[in-house]
Amino acid sequence: METVNPQDLVATLGSGGYPAAPWFLMLFKVLGFTLHAVPMNLWYAGVLLAMLLQAFGGEQARRWSARLLRQMPVIIAFGVNLGIVPLLFTQVTHYRVFYPATILIAWPWLSIIALLILAYYGAYWVAHGLRGGETQLRGARVLAGWLVAALFIAIGFVFANGFSLMTNLQDWPAIWQRTQVAGAVTGVAMNSGDPTLLPRFLMFFSLAFTTVAVHMVFDAGALARRESEVYRQSAARLALPVHVAGLAGFAVFGSWYIFGVMPETSRSALLAFPGVIFAVSTALAPGAVAVALFTLRGRPVSFGAGVAVAAMQVLVLGLNAISRQIAQSAELAPHLDITAEPVRWQWSPMVLFLVLFVAGLGVIAWLVRRAVLESRAMESQSNGSPGRG
Amino acid sequence: MHYPWWYVPHLTSPMLIAFIAVVHVLVSHYAVGGGLFLFVETRHAHRTSNREYLDYLHRHARFFVLLTVVFGAITGVGIWWTIGLASPLATEVLIHTFVFGWAMEYVFFVIELAAAFLFLYFWGRVTPRTHVLFAGVYAFAAWVSLVLITGITGFMLNSGNWPERGGFWNGFFNPQFAPQVLARTGGSLLLASMYVYFHASICSPSSALREIIGRRSARPALLGAVLIVAGGAGWFANLPESSVAALMKAPALNIFMAILFAVTVAVFAMLYFGPYRNPAWLTPGFGVLFLMFGIVAVTVGEFVREAVRKPYIVHNVVMSSNILASEIPGHRAAGFLESGPWTRALIAAKFPQVMDGTRIDERRLLDLPPPQRIEAGEILFMHHCNDCHATDTGLSAIPHVTIGWAPEMIHDVVTSPELFHHYMPPFAGTPEESQVLAEWIESVRPPFPAGMRFGPASAEGGE
Ligand code: HEC
Ligand code: HEM
Repeated sequence: METVNPQDLVATLGSGGYPAAPWFLMLFKVLGFTLHAVPMNLWYAGVLLAMLLQAFGGEQARRWSARLLRQMPVIIAFGVNLGIVPLLFTQVTHYRVFYPATILIAWPWLSIIALLILAYYGAYWVAHGLRGGETQLRGARVLAGWLVAALFIAIGFVFANGFSLMTNLQDWPAIWQRTQVAGAVTGVAMNSGDPTLLPRFLMFFSLAFTTVAVHMVFDAGALARRESEVYRQSAARLALPVHVAGLAGFAVFGSWYIFGVMPETSRSALLAFPGVIFAVSTALAPGAVAVALFTLRGRPVSFGAGVAVAAMQVLVLGLNAISRQIAQSAELAPHLDITAEPVRWQWSPMVLFLVLFVAGLGVIAWLVRRAVLESRAMESQSNGSPGRG
Repeated sequence: MHYPWWYVPHLTSPMLIAFIAVVHVLVSHYAVGGGLFLFVETRHAHRTSNREYLDYLHRHARFFVLLTVVFGAITGVGIWWTIGLASPLATEVLIHTFVFGWAMEYVFFVIELAAAFLFLYFWGRVTPRTHVLFAGVYAFAAWVSLVLITGITGFMLNSGNWPERGGFWNGFFNPQFAPQVLARTGGSLLLASMYVYFHASICSPSSALREIIGRRSARPALLGAVLIVAGGAGWFANLPESSVAALMKAPALNIFMAILFAVTVAVFAMLYFGPYRNPAWLTPGFGVLFLMFGIVAVTVGEFVREAVRKPYIVHNVVMSSNILASEIPGHRAAGFLESGPWTRALIAAKFPQVMDGTRIDERRLLDLPPPQRIEAGEILFMHHCNDCHATDTGLSAIPHVTIGWAPEMIHDVVTSPELFHHYMPPFAGTPEESQVLAEWIESVRPPFPAGMRFGPASAEGGE
């Protein structure tokens, strides 16, 4: 089967066509991934860092660690849900390569579900050990924390395998040959022969540390109203080295990825106009966040500063998502023309979805606002002191 | 076949879908009914200022969130993961048809999550009115997500006139939609009460409180049981003829239907004489037993629902052999192996001598030496039959279902599987392909079992 031309393994063109134009579907794919990346980075690198700080950090660092671990159940809940959006639209646009690639690695791919359930319950258990302002994990929960960190990194690695294999058609025949029974796929492979796998994995993992650093500042500014001035001051001081470390990894592994191993087609798409605009801003944007963190260091973070830095980081991840889309599309261009598919707009379901989407966000904002306002009012009533805003 | 085929030894890969789907359904229906329970009962407890009940509801809410938000949500994603792996073509068709349905469902998921967390984490920190509002929003969003997914699962069982007319709404409001919404709503109510009884009996609040819980939750449970029966009747009335025939014919399904009926009667009786009339019966033993009944009923119900769809994954659209129903005539002319990119590439690599340029010349399959013909037959089996039949041992393993068969019988079943059992898809290949497939089955078919006596004992047989 070494003789198989990978091009011949792209799945049959579907009969139904796209329910909306490719640009619309891609927009939601990229937007969805940006929103997925925010919380995902927090558990991806965040749990590991939180456990490191549990072991080696000072009091304030442990305080942040405990705060993040306490927030983890909610972060995971929303992060997983936000992952559904890009996956839905990926399956609409890229079904001809997505399904074959994931079938080739079926067991690792399916194991994500089991690993995720474990990691998720582990995160709840760890958070439970930190309730009531406790900052130090104890006993078996320490072990659980490390396990959760490892599970999330393992899951991230499988995702990196899946999405790199989706564009690495070159290796499909060899993997197929290695793992087939009468031509059927056993699904016990990974995309391990792909030189882009490791740098890609490490690059994204490094980037995740920059998001974790931003969480420190955002959390201190926007969510840690009850914490001391000292904590809110030290959060920004702690964030800077974390961010710089992540940034360094991002630069090193990113260069390895783009200049060392990336297929020529993708590289030239990223380095030519107009892709280069995004490539350059993707590379530089995290630096801007570092500068922002630098100017904030040593001061108690204000609400506005926390939100502003968070917004910058969402932009960083958005630019990153656009660049990966440019690279992905370029790599797949020889095999898959997603603009060739007929488009049959499903207008009324689409409009209904958009309306519900906006209305849903409105409902959530309304509920959260109500919860926050009422709980503050009740708090200040029981304290006998005026509310703090 | 449009895609590669995922081979799972003994079990067959589509069975993984069934397993994950059953565990998911057991929790996701509770996620809907339990939301309604929390809404109605929290409101009641606030109104009657029943502190003890509120404390219990707080504990129940924690259990509820831990079970539904984690296990329920991730197994739901798990179903999607497995259908993509084991039934990629059906998933492709469903996603292209209903992507905006799923996207809408996703909006309601996010609302559910937000409302559930607010309900739990702001317990006692907001006014009762707002607290009940959170539960209400949760319950409504959860029920809407049930309605949205039912449009899609109903479509899979009876696609109505969609194959001719197409269209999102036409597919969504299929003949199975209303009955299944009814039945699933009922299932949510009943299952939620079962979880409530289970949890309340174990978490043993005072006997006075258990009595309140027992009595109050019996009413939605009885309503749920009625809805299940009504929805079930509608389900049956709107089944395609092929599904009704499968229900009548397959022994396993006969037994399942009998179990389903018996469990339903038992649940009715237990509910009425138990929590409704004698709330003091709500002991841990009762709680566990009752939940077990629920689990059995749901599991059996889901298996039946899945099984009667055969030979389709999506009724009249996608065959279980991962080709479109509309493709069958074309495949018969051009060849099954030729029509799938992966099978074509495989044959070209393994048996270049049967290729005519880039096409498979099916006639040349018969020029191959016997071992290679058998090999080609196994490839056909994998891609055309392995979704329902294991290869050696396991689920409906092909050697087991053909014990002692004569070559002509094998030939007949391979050329017209649908005439043996209408829930097998018709053979979608050329005569040469059916020939090599038959040869492979002959090569694995065990001989007729020895030692069976059909007639009077002979002298030698008595030893
Ligand atoms: C949609 C699922 C499905 C597919 C696909 C399928 N079968 Fe079957 N088949 C069944 C079921 C169900 C039975 C009856 C249950 C049993 O005996 O295990 C059955 C029974 C059989 C039997 C025993 C016949 C008998 O009289 O009981 C043979 C032989 C058989 N199948 C061969 C095949 C072959 C060959 C293929 C591929 C061309 C195939 N089947 C594809 C579902 C399927
Ligand atoms: C089960 C819920 C999840 C879904 C539906 C989901 C979905 C996705 C999707 C669609 C992408 C690719 C986006 C794109 O390139 O267009 C992606 C990427 C990624 N996800 Fe998630 N995700 C989930 C959970 C997780 C978890 C638990 C982790 C753990 C760390 C994770 C880590 C990653 C990583 C590292 C990538 C980038 C992979 C790469 O391209 O190298 N995801 N996810």
